[in-house]
Amino acid sequence: MSTRQYELVYLTPPDTTEEAIAELHQQIAAVVERFGGTIEKTENWGRRRLAYEIARQREAVYVLEVMNGPGTMTTELDRRLRVLDIVIRHMIVRVDEELARAERAKTRRKEWTVKRRTRRGLPPEPTESERRRPDDDDDDLDSGGDLGYRAGGER
Amino acid sequence: MSDYDKDSKGGRGAGKSAAGEKGGGRRTFFRRRRVCKFCAEKIDYIGYKDVKLLAPFIPERGKIQPRRISGVCATHQRALQTAIKRARQIALVPYVTE
Repeated sequence: MSTRQYELVYLTPPDTTEEAIAELHQQIAAVVERFGGTIEKTENWGRRRLAYEIARQREAVYVLEVMNGPGTMTTELDRRLRVLDIVIRHMIVRVDEELARAERAKTRRKEWTVKRRTRRGLPPEPTESERRRPDDDDDDLDSGGDLGYRAGGER
Repeated sequence: MSDYDKDSKGGRGAGKSAAGEKGGGRRTFFRRRRVCKFCAEKIDYIGYKDVKLLAPFIPERGKIQPRRISGVCATHQRALQTAIKRARQIALVPYVTE
């Protein structure tokens, strides 16, 4: 009845061929279509290191599908992906509400800025010179680390 | 294991020399300014796909860093928590590291 947005991420072994992934995508697209949904975008992240071993693999190919459709669609996708040997891990997450919330927060902040600035008699948009660079305090936190996450803290 | 020595420089020990000067020899803790990273940088959406964003909140052991240490506000800690948990499911981030 209602359409929701979901993100599906699935992992296949690193030696999976392009054709196999394309075929898998076709299967997923077929299911989505059957439930009257649409695939908004597909992203292949390629091979990535896994943070832990899955199905005796240290690496996997990640594919992301952003799709719209009813909840029953995800149940079906979940059931099918579970059966396929080529998919070693998958996850379906509903995202529309969170994205909407983030969007609301953004607009609200923008409105506030405009209000505050007009009250002070400034132009509503911050000028180029006032703008502070967003990433210059402590970004050294995530330097290095071949796994992509920081190994930190003293223990 | 090799990560231990590499990262020993980071974190809280950094401010010791600056604050310890006039403290009279007592244990003077240097408190970092407690600002929520996500509020300060106006990050609205904490997604599970962005490992770079989550990484600073996942210490060595793989646990989620508590708010009392990272200074993240409650709202964002909650969002961060779900993001990390999701990232764990698809092995972007570890559950535990030995």
